[in-house]
Amino acid sequence: MLNDSAMTRFLMAWGLSGDVAVLATTVVHAAILVHFFAAAPLVLIWLERKVAGRLQDRLGPTRVGGRFGWLQGAADGIKLVQKEDLAPAAADSVLFRMAPYIVFIGSFGAFIALPWSDGWTAMELDAGLFFILAIMSVEVIGVIFAGYASGSKWSLLGGMREAAQVVSYEVPMALCCLLPVMLAGTVNIMEIGRMQSGWVWNWFVLHDPFCLIGFFVYFTVATASVKRAPFDLAEAESELVAGFHTEYSGIRWSYFFMAEYASMFAVSGLATVCFLGGWHLGVPVLEWLGLAGNPAWWAVAISGVIGFALFAAKSLSLVFVQMWIRWSLPRLRIDQVMTTCLKYLLPISCVLLVGLAAWPLVIYAATNALQPGRGRTTLIGPALGERSAPARTSAESAGVTPTIAERVEVRR
Amino acid sequence: MPGLPILLFVAVSTFMAVSIIIVAHVVGPKARSTAVKLMPYESGMDPIHSARQRFNISFYLLAIEFLVFDVELLFLYPWAVAAGGTSPTALGRLPAEAGVFWAVMGFVTILMIGFVYTWRKGVFKWN
Repeated sequence: MLNDSAMTRFLMAWGLSGDVAVLATTVVHAAILVHFFAAAPLVLIWLERKVAGRLQDRLGPTRVGGRFGWLQGAADGIKLVQKEDLAPAAADSVLFRMAPYIVFIGSFGAFIALPWSDGWTAMELDAGLFFILAIMSVEVIGVIFAGYASGSKWSLLGGMREAAQVVSYEVPMALCCLLPVMLAGTVNIMEIGRMQSGWVWNWFVLHDPFCLIGFFVYFTVATASVKRAPFDLAEAESELVAGFHTEYSGIRWSYFFMAEYASMFAVSGLATVCFLGGWHLGVPVLEWLGLAGNPAWWAVAISGVIGFALFAAKSLSLVFVQMWIRWSLPRLRIDQVMTTCLKYLLPISCVLLVGLAAWPLVIYAATNALQPGRGRTTLIGPALGERSAPARTSAESAGVTPTIAERVEVRR
Repeated sequence: MPGLPILLFVAVSTFMAVSIIIVAHVVGPKARSTAVKLMPYESGMDPIHSARQRFNISFYLLAIEFLVFDVELLFLYPWAVAAGGTSPTALGRLPAEAGVFWAVMGFVTILMIGFVYTWRKGVFKWN
């Protein structure tokens, strides 16, 4: 929770009561986060246009803001603010105006629990992973509202498609997120990230073949659940004009896009933390330098910033891959999208779940048969429960490697 | 109240969303609406009938299917927490726990029977 965040402690040292300090910290964190949330899509839209241009042998934006056109997103934003805000006469006025807010808040919600670096999060929730999955699915309600309330047939078709697609893809997505939870034994996303410290084989994606496949299944499903091409049936321009946001204009319309790009980053960040080692490099450089687990404020700050850079780099690479896919693959038909999910990805992720549950048992049986009495439950590296921690605890300086459980105790 | 900070986060983001729209209303032009401008877009034609029509039953069946699977997932998450990491019932502990594995096998088997049933009933058929 926020109780032990740096700012709360700072405020309490100034004599504020605990509750007031927590609330003040929340407001500051929320303000920082909401500005990031509003600014990130501008950068990502510019990136998307650059990537699209390069993939199609064009230059993309080059004029606004100098050579690389890096102010293009901001220019678009300024243009959109100046546009008329219209609601069609046939629209259900209240739902029509409410829909962009729901999409905006649902997409923003994912960032509340997203861990940016070790200890860097707006709010450390005990069920952070579950919270992210739950609040991201609120977004679909806004899209259904938009589709239904517009009073346009294109919008209705887009909204219904979106509803069917997103609720279907949510099931394999949650099943794939179950794999890291099974390894970590916690739904606290910060803890899941911490368990992947050290060498690259500690990353959950390389833990076993099921997690490796699970990562690719997750990425496919996540691309579909943020309705990116080739799964963008909800707004398929070639069939539905613009799908559920056909009737929207100006800044209200741009909320759907802000939410889409922010969600792309959120699902990529989730993939990074759950499978790709979060804010860890994969080589324990920080441990060698004595920075990780060092309680001095400068060590905490340096390792935090490095972790943030690594997390952002990994997440942005995944966002880049999503853009790459969009400009490389043709759009699927709605029946193909549904078939892919229900007849392939859903059974596959169930098999992955059972396979991962059986994996330690099979490895144990095999290794125990080879060397009786010396069975182990993982192929490479220590078993998850016995994984060494980067934190320099008293137990470690005494020559004993602490387990995760002990480390958690130390942190408390 | 532990949920209060989350509500505050939602409040701040709502404030941000509303204030951008207010700025847009102040900066942007007054909407000069005509009957044609307020017509739903139907590729240039005058709209025929209302958009509030009945749609395919497949969507309803899918929603029911989704409910079943989502509730099932709610049960699987606590199981995963119990079966992972350093918990006493963890699958990765030595000697490896088989009982936890068979528990989830039973659960998934029952679920798969339902899944195959809906598949054979043609719920996943899209025409």
